[in-house]
Order: sequence, then structure tokens, then C-alpha cells
Amino acid sequence: MSELELRLIALREEIDFPPTPALSVAVERAVALAPARRRRLRPLALVLAVVLVAALGVLALSPGARSAFLELFHLRGATVSRVEELPEVELIERAELLGVPVTLAAARRRAGFELADLGEPDEVYLRGDGLVTFVYGSIERPRLLLSQVRGMVWDGFVKKVGARGTSVEEVEIEGERGLFVSGDPHFVMYLDSMFRIQEERAYLAGTTLLWNRGDVLFRLEADVELAEALELARAVK
Amino acid sequence: MSRPPTEDELVERARRGDGAAFGALVRMEEEIAFRTAYLITRNAADAEDAAQAAFVKAFYALPRFRRGAPLRPWLLAIVANEARNKRRGGGRREALVQRAAQELPSGDAAPSPEGRLLAEEQRAELLVALESLGEDDRLVLSCRYLLELSEGETAEVLSLRRGTVKSRTSRALERLRGHLREER
Repeated sequence: MSELELRLIALREEIDFPPTPALSVAVERAVALAPARRRRLRPLALVLAVVLVAALGVLALSPGARSAFLELFHLRGATVSRVEELPEVELIERAELLGVPVTLAAARRRAGFELADLGEPDEVYLRGDGLVTFVYGSIERPRLLLSQVRGMVWDGFVKKVGARGTSVEEVEIEGERGLFVSGDPHFVMYLDSMFRIQEERAYLAGTTLLWNRGDVLFRLEADVELAEALELARAVK
Repeated sequence: MSRPPTEDELVERARRGDGAAFGALVRMEEEIAFRTAYLITRNAADAEDAAQAAFVKAFYALPRFRRGAPLRPWLLAIVANEARNKRRGGGRREALVQRAAQELPSGDAAPSPEGRLLAEEQRAELLVALESLGEDDRLVLSCRYLLELSEGETAEVLSLRRGTVKSRTSRALERLRGHLREER
């Protein structure tokens, strides 16, 4: 080892690094709050076989049957048409609170995590705290909002505003916990990536489904029932 | 008396969702993780955010961690990635600074005040030269010497091939020598 390398090693002891924060406390709290990981082992070969049969089989079907078939398998185009068929929902919150309009490419670049979608959104909004919202329809006449941010569902903090008529149901999506909120306008509270409690108002006068996929929190707002919301959530790829 | 669990045992328990076992792993690695993040972000708050987010991510990614592989480079690679993402966001950059000089006890083995001053000056000069290097050079030398990572660990943390780490280190040392010569 050269003299310069030895001097560099000695320098290590001389650098005044900022004191190391007690990360384990916050991390332990976060993983304890996170929904239990459930492993669902899906044989890859089986999944591939089903997709292959689906892809081949669909070519032989009539247009109507093909559409139904695609819907069944939530293939990309079918999911978009499905979203397009949803009713328009009244926007009950100021659109500026969703952030600024950006292109899909810019949102993908700046999100800091891989964004999932239900097909190409009509409008995209990005907020300073990293929340990305895909608007299907238009912001004036929305049919569905899909928001994503690093964070976690924290059901202890679902707050009912005008409590009567608001209901919160616990659901399971791909092995992770979620919440389906319906009824009166409501707030939801969640933990952001720094495990701070954040409060969010619903933007649409419909229903809200919140769920986690890893450390990303999804929020889907539309005028749909629970079963349909779950189906849409599973189609988010 | 029962022996403390090994790293492999803690990883196995954490893989099954044991938060306390994962907390023990975090405590073992939090200092080097924070320093790695700090050397990349050069901002203590960003480094804390990056290291914390990286540990949570690592917890979720544990099922994909190869059994029996060393945990540290895998963790630090996640930390470095989070730190790079944080850094892109901008923010104030802090320079590395030397610790304040400490009073040493007098005695035969203690250096003279003049000797201490000279040694301090040399370290300050080295730090200035290190800081004046380009980012790639500075990071590879920081990993190898300030964090004392091996070539393999550095390669994993900086997402480079081992051979690239070797050649980059050698070139960075050469440039550092050049800067030191210029300063004299």
C-alpha cells in the first residue's frame, strides 16, 4: 500500500462526519406498521402458460368476445377502455392541490420509483412531496384518479368527516392490506416515506381505495363499488 | 448463556417478517450506511432520509436477497441508490471537514506542538485535494479508504465492475497526487 493510501486511511479518523442518527428506531417502527408480508408463490411457468394461451386464443375470437376476453385478463388496452366507460365524477377539491401538470415521461423521471398505470393517463400531475396523480378523463371531468407516492396505509388514522354515511372497509390486494372508503367526503391519513403522518382529502365525490404495493402507496378514486375498485387495483401494472 | 444470533440468523428471521431482528441488523450497519449516503448527498438531512428509506426498502426486498451472501454490500448498494436519487433533488451540499484538533497528553511519545501542527496541515491539504477531485474519483476513493470497503464491495455500491473500480482507483490516486503537488 502506498504512502498516499495510508494517509487516506488515516484521514478517515480525522473527518468530522455528522453524528449517525438512530435509524433503527424509525425503521423498526415502520416495518412493524407495515402489513405482514404474505408470500404468494405463483408458479411462473403456469402464469406464462396462461398468458400465452390467452394471447393466442384471443386472435381467434370475434371482436365482442375479444373485448370481453381482454377485459377478463386485464390486458392493457382493455383496462383503458374499461376506465373510459366509468362515469364522470365531480371534483370536490381544488385541482392545484394535486401539484403541477407534467408529461408522463417527466413524471416517470422524477418520481423516484417505478410508476404503475391503468394504461396511458390523459393528464399527469406531480406534487412537491412526490405524489404523482394520473387523471383518466380530464381534470375538469375526471372519471378516475390514480395517485402514487412512497408511503403506507395507516388505517388507524382514517378520519371520518361528517361521520354518518362514511364507511371504511379493510381489504386485501395481492397479499397486502388496503382500505376502501365510501360515503361522505372524507380525509385519509397515511405515513409518508419518512413515516410522518400526512393528511389527504379525497378529490372526487366517489369512493377511494388505498393500498400498498411494497413501499408505494396507491390511491384510486372513482365512482365504483368495492368489487370494481378491487378489480381495477389488480389491473394497475 | 445463549450466544447472540449471527448475521445469517438475523437475516433469516427478518426475512420472515421479524422487525426486531431487522432492527438489530440496522443497528449493525447504520453508521456505515449513513456515512455512505452522506458521502454521496453531502447533506446530513438528505443522508438520513436516504439511509432510512433504503433500510425500509431492503426489508421489503429481503426475500430477493441471496442466502449466505454478505449483507453489507447489498444494503449499501440500496443506500447508494437512494442517496443518488436524493442528490438529484438538489439542496445544499456540505464540504467534508476535519475534526477539531484534540489536546493530546504530554509525554515522550506525544508529538511536539510543531509536529502536531505539521500533521494537521498535511491532513487538511489532503482533504482539500480530495475534495477538488471529480465526483467519480472522489467517490471511489471515499469508498475504498474513508469507508474501508473492499474492491468488490465498492463495485457493488457504485454499480461498477470490479476491474473498473481497480483502474478508477489507480487513476484517482494519480490525480490526487497531482493535486497535492500543485498545492505545494
